[in-house]
Amino acid sequence: MNETVLVVSDLEAGYEPGVPIVRGASITVNKGEIVVVLGPNGAGKSSLIKAVAGLVPISRGKVLLDGQDITAAPAHIMIRLGLAFVPQTENVFPRMSVEDNLKVACGILERRLAPARIEEMYAAFPDLLRQRRTRAGNLSGGQRQMLAVARALIVHPKVLVLDEPSAGLSPKFVSMVFEMLSDIRKSGVTILLVEQNAKAALAIGDRAYVLVEGKERHEAAASTLWDDPVIAELYLGQRPLRKDSARHTETGGAA
Amino acid sequence: MSLQFVVDGLLTGSMIGLGAIGVTLTYSILRFSNFAHGDFMAWGTYATLTVVGAIAAMFGKVAPIAPLSFGWPLIVALVVGAAFTALLALLLDKVLFSRLRKQEQAIIAVMGSFGASMALRSLLEFIFTSRPTYFSRAIQIAMPVGFGIRITPDQIALLILTAALVLAVHLLTTRTQTGRSMQAMSQNPALARIAGIDVASVVRVTWVIGAALACVAGVMIGVLVQIRPLMGFDMLLPMFAAAILGGIGSIPGAVLGGLIIGLAEAGAVQLIGAEWRAAVSFIILMAVLIVRPIGLFGVRER
Repeated sequence: MNETVLVVSDLEAGYEPGVPIVRGASITVNKGEIVVVLGPNGAGKSSLIKAVAGLVPISRGKVLLDGQDITAAPAHIMIRLGLAFVPQTENVFPRMSVEDNLKVACGILERRLAPARIEEMYAAFPDLLRQRRTRAGNLSGGQRQMLAVARALIVHPKVLVLDEPSAGLSPKFVSMVFEMLSDIRKSGVTILLVEQNAKAALAIGDRAYVLVEGKERHEAAASTLWDDPVIAELYLGQRPLRKDSARHTETGGAA
Repeated sequence: MSLQFVVDGLLTGSMIGLGAIGVTLTYSILRFSNFAHGDFMAWGTYATLTVVGAIAAMFGKVAPIAPLSFGWPLIVALVVGAAFTALLALLLDKVLFSRLRKQEQAIIAVMGSFGASMALRSLLEFIFTSRPTYFSRAIQIAMPVGFGIRITPDQIALLILTAALVLAVHLLTTRTQTGRSMQAMSQNPALARIAGIDVASVVRVTWVIGAALACVAGVMIGVLVQIRPLMGFDMLLPMFAAAILGGIGSIPGAVLGGLIIGLAEAGAVQLIGAEWRAAVSFIILMAVLIVRPIGLFGVRER
């Protein structure tokens, strides 16, 4: 049951040599799970999954996918190895139709399989079928996110990695996107995502990691994490009341 | 007034347009202005000329395909020349452009291409001297086709060739997986990688298409006008003007831009005087850009 798909161990990564943003992070994702990475701004959440996806240089540590070492494989190889990444922004080709966006992603599939796979995506995302001739740049935020996810799923990845799929979406679309991810998991796809919207992400997630200063500081079942005092301390950046805090309050210094 | 300038303009425009396709592809996919593109034209033409000479040495004099001024040797030589030009572009990318493109600032690659342009041109003058030469010295009789227009069989053949090549490249870039990958690279290179596109192979295809078309355009000039080491460099500004006029990144735009500039130049020669030739095309370019800064077929960046 607990077959691990993705293992990230002691990963150190960053854009500049000698300035790591991810500092020894370790996470595991089991088959069929939704794993959420939370953390305060600047904790290195996005850098962590971008490093996993081959987009940020890795200086130490390992990434294993189904037991295969995929550490620092080039981004265009990652998708062939079974790791599909959905960036936070600019995740569709804006001046191509929805259909061409899907077709271009089929480049690594056998040619004869592509049409059927595109039809399967249309069946899973009927909105995209209705908009197949629309330029991706003219889609609504939610539909664009759908297209970005469909683009990643079309090649049957072993794990789907998403960077803040709800960023910049209106509340209506946020719930739509999380419902979509929940449905995708039900179809057997393993998901790793980074989210600012902790409450919505924990509602659909199985497990969560809290990342602080480039290292995972806490791991828990998603259902219990929201009520865990640790989340207030680490994720929201608040310190529990200290003994001297009362005096600060008296002088009006406490925030 | 004679409508002859229409034929002259379409021919000049075809040469400019074929060259501008390479300029626009290099700009939108490789993200720099390649000033050496004109010299690919000249090198392709001299390569073709050399192969024509080699064929003549091997097979003796070959009769032209009536009513054209050239025979099968030129057609074979053009294919070989285009392949040679493509290899030259790939070689230059390997030793020079690929390194310069890695730099953050595009101007570095642009200046590098300027240097490559001068080196290529000088080398050509060194090998072949700067004296003009010709594929054929035969004079073709221009046939009257009405409205005061006269056209030679060579001109008709080359216009058809241009139309066929433009159509082929358009279909390649819009209907094939390779073409979609090229579009993807020009719209979002980071996402193209994530989507599994092998950037190196898209770069190669871009060079091959651009360089091969430059060779064809150069040979057209060689057949209709003359062959000189400076022939490509002289086409550089009109080619960039055409690419910008049509909207950078757009292949139909580059060709249409080329035709507009070609027609404007030819019209200016007839109506105002030959010394206004270059000025008129740039006045049109500026006028279009004032009304539509992204060019005719251009797309606004997000």
